[in-house]
Amino acid sequence: MMLFNKKKKLVSQNTSGNVNGKTMSNFYLSRQNSWLLCLCQCLNIAVVALELSTWMLIIIALSLAWQALLLQQNRATANTSRGKHPGTVQSNLASKRHSHGPSKQLATNISPVVLGIFALLGCVAIALTAKQVGILLSMVHLLCFSYALKGFELRTRRDFYQLLLLGLFILASALIFRQDLVFSLIILSLLIINLTVLLQFFSSENAFATNLKVVVVLLGQSALLAVVLFLVFPRLSPFWQVPFAKSAKTGLSDTVKPGDIANLTRSTKLAFRADFGGQKIPNYAQLYWRAMVLENYDGRQWRRQNKVTQNKADGSGTKSLIFDASNTEVLPLTYQVFVEASFQKYLFALAPAVVTGNASGITAQTDYTIQSSTIISQAKSYRLTSYLTAPLALELSPQSRQINLSYPQGSNPRLEQLALQLQHNYVDVQARAQAVLTLINQQNYSYTLQPPLLVNNSLDQFFFDSQAGFCVHYASAFTFLMRASGIPARLVTGYLGGEYNGVTNEVNSAGKIVNKGHLSIYQYDAHAWSEIWVAGKGWLRIDPTGAVDPQRVNIGWSNQLLQEQAELNNTFFNLYRMKNIAWLNTLRLQFDALDYQWTRWVIGFTSQQQYDLLKHWFGKMVPWKLALIIAVTLVLSMLMLMLLLHWLNRPKVKKQAFAQWQIIYHKAIDRLAKQGMEKPLAMTVNDFAKKIRQQYPELALVFTQLSASYNRLCYQTLSISEQEKQTVTMQQQYHHFIQVLKNSDKKHL
Amino acid sequence: MIYPTRFGLTYVGFVVLVFLLGTNYQNNIILLFSYLLASLFISVMLHSFYNFSQLRFYSRAKQQGYADATLYYVIKITAKKTHYDINAHFSDARLNSPIVNLGQCKQGTQELILAYKPSKRGQYKLGRVTVFSEYSLGLFKSKAMLDFGHYAIIYPKAKSFIAGQYQLSGQVDEPNRESYQTTNSVGSDDFSELKSFVRGESKARTAWKQLAKGQGHYSKHYQASQGQLTWLKLSDMPSNDLEIQLAYLSFLIGELTTAKQSFGLALCPDMTNTAMNIPPNSGFHHQQACLTALALY
Repeated sequence: MMLFNKKKKLVSQNTSGNVNGKTMSNFYLSRQNSWLLCLCQCLNIAVVALELSTWMLIIIALSLAWQALLLQQNRATANTSRGKHPGTVQSNLASKRHSHGPSKQLATNISPVVLGIFALLGCVAIALTAKQVGILLSMVHLLCFSYALKGFELRTRRDFYQLLLLGLFILASALIFRQDLVFSLIILSLLIINLTVLLQFFSSENAFATNLKVVVVLLGQSALLAVVLFLVFPRLSPFWQVPFAKSAKTGLSDTVKPGDIANLTRSTKLAFRADFGGQKIPNYAQLYWRAMVLENYDGRQWRRQNKVTQNKADGSGTKSLIFDASNTEVLPLTYQVFVEASFQKYLFALAPAVVTGNASGITAQTDYTIQSSTIISQAKSYRLTSYLTAPLALELSPQSRQINLSYPQGSNPRLEQLALQLQHNYVDVQARAQAVLTLINQQNYSYTLQPPLLVNNSLDQFFFDSQAGFCVHYASAFTFLMRASGIPARLVTGYLGGEYNGVTNEVNSAGKIVNKGHLSIYQYDAHAWSEIWVAGKGWLRIDPTGAVDPQRVNIGWSNQLLQEQAELNNTFFNLYRMKNIAWLNTLRLQFDALDYQWTRWVIGFTSQQQYDLLKHWFGKMVPWKLALIIAVTLVLSMLMLMLLLHWLNRPKVKKQAFAQWQIIYHKAIDRLAKQGMEKPLAMTVNDFAKKIRQQYPELALVFTQLSASYNRLCYQTLSISEQEKQTVTMQQQYHHFIQVLKNSDKKHL
Repeated sequence: MIYPTRFGLTYVGFVVLVFLLGTNYQNNIILLFSYLLASLFISVMLHSFYNFSQLRFYSRAKQQGYADATLYYVIKITAKKTHYDINAHFSDARLNSPIVNLGQCKQGTQELILAYKPSKRGQYKLGRVTVFSEYSLGLFKSKAMLDFGHYAIIYPKAKSFIAGQYQLSGQVDEPNRESYQTTNSVGSDDFSELKSFVRGESKARTAWKQLAKGQGHYSKHYQASQGQLTWLKLSDMPSNDLEIQLAYLSFLIGELTTAKQSFGLALCPDMTNTAMNIPPNSGFHHQQACLTALALY
């Protein structure tokens, strides 16, 4: 045993003197476990690696590699010393002597002073870069740095514990940055590995797989209580302000140049999901998810209108501009949106929409977009009611009209000229817009992800020379033309469409079509379109993309576009291929559905939902009732856990397997018992046979033979083949016995 | 008895920390993580309990040995299933006993050996034995204090002694020996009995007288040589220090037993005091009795 568990004995400075203190000083970690711990450190740091700066990663990698090197050296010395005394390895003393060598070497290799200086330098470096990366990230840096360095001074058991807890804390903090199902499962599996390393310390003789199983069982048993806690334990509001991650923004940005969205569409990341809860999902061409309205154009790019100027019209004025749901006859469509972390503030809606349900932290804007008051750093959900066909803003304030008509004079002279011409030819506003669309449709325009680069983002160049572009090109040029021809127009960005995931055409009891599924909207669904203001109709959505590539607007990406996309991007290529293989696609959709449920019920489980759930189960909530529920459910689940464990740990009565011959004999005895001749338990086999001989002479011969065989099998040592032979004979004897018994029965009758 | 270890308490603090992290970030997954860790605490407690229950311990109460030699108390553990990480040590902190670990206690009977190394002769009550386990994750310590009534009888450490010196003192002792011999009237090579002749026996031993009388073929048997009958006397030991005297005696007892010589031990000059003096005998049990007497003196 000692041979395989080469233990390193490290002398502790712990001089507390009591008995417990002495356990601390005898700290052993088996070789296998040391390696596991090292691996564990690597994995734990890997989950936050994306958040760490490169220099920190290099430092951590170096220190971990150094630790691995030390471990390797330990083994080498241990091997040589083992080779020198092959005869004494088994004795306890000898192996202790062996392990002294490496431990000394470990101590000389890393002196605490060097380590201290190194740690100090690292902290200074972290402090210096703190401003750059933000407080949260520098905390994570510090955590990982200390975790990597702690591995050098594994002297006592306490160090080992500290290292493990640090590792677990890294896992927990990794969840700040990502919470999706895959990542959560990764964290869970890492938790299992971490705990197994700890368990391995207490049962080092078990194989790693066995310990892994034990930990999984432990966590499985804990899961019950954890779920109960999750459901009933009150959600508290934050105790203090915490620094949030300054992660890179994803998704749309609030300035748009032609060509911007084409880059975004290379991403296959999820943007958000929408659940229509059994209602009919609107047609693809109606799913214009509005994110931002860009009203400022400087000749190069589109920008959002500065908030300050908007706020001037705040108060009652703003309210009147926000959509009023009470005086519309359009059918409402209620749905729930689950946004992924974007580290931006904008949310998505099918305009015009009002926020229903819990509206805290969500505000509707005058331009019919919806914004979160805080940066969305984790998945968030909200409920909206949309009135799809209702008009937007029948009135236009003079200020707004002025903004939406302005354009830098002379920025795109050829377009301006065209606009004047259009203004002259078409008096009706809508006819003028339609004329542009017809122009785009009929001329040789192409819709492509790889438009030629424009000099200075010139719209002229696009519209008259290259005539190839993506949605922003068309929307920008169209909006510019409208503005130049005197129609208030603006650019809107957002997402178009979405992938439906679920069972369609399920008919419910009332005969209505029910959708059990959700829409997933990915980054590649990003889109830009434009809006013009028409008196009496309000803001009208006009999508010039529809004029050049109708399929994009009506169904989704055309095959040509998809292929283009796949050439540009590897992940997209994979997705494209996956979509073409039916079972893989089903799998992908199922996983998406699973991830959706996770987002909906676990990530999005708010205190409101918790309250509703408890109310649904237990009726109206009052504080004392809540406390009672928490107490009772906790006690109950703990009791259940205890019962379960008690049942699992019950002393196992081994069922003794009876041999064939035992079964035969007992069958014979049972037959006799039915005839009224029971064998007393205390009576031996021979005595019983004698009794039968006396009372039933006709059975005497057969039963005595049977008994003799039984005795032979029972008490003589026979080889297996002999046993088999005897058993076969006994079987024959048994059949004989049954026949005789039946015959005698007949005679008696 | 089961209670959280220091690590267990730290762990609880850690779980609270994770909970705070989750609450402050309003992050459900971190909250779930902390709940899972908290529940793990409970299930580990139950697991430690079941790991430690249904164990049976047996141990012999008495051990004896020389001073400065290590005594081993064997604790037999009978288990119905596999138990892990069973540790034991003497509860008495003054004994400074090292913790003995049994990593895996398989079904059946296994042994844990507790060592005790006393430095002085005498009888020691070792008190209770603490058996504990920190399986499965070191969060809890299941502990039991078992009273086996362990005690140790420690003989004085043998101090070598030149045999000639003792021979001398033995001769001085002659009158006593004589009186002892007379009372017992058993000398060396004395005739003891006649036994019927067995083929192969020396003819020299044949009891011719009986054969001649026609009473049968017998051979004479003599009592085996007893060697020198000795009384080991405390007062004879050449030292003023009682402990050294006892150490000499301890050595001599060992030597004489090895030589299979019969001897008696007199700790009290008054030979009639039967409680303090052990009549001559030989063999292992006699040695033990004598050494015990030395230990307890």
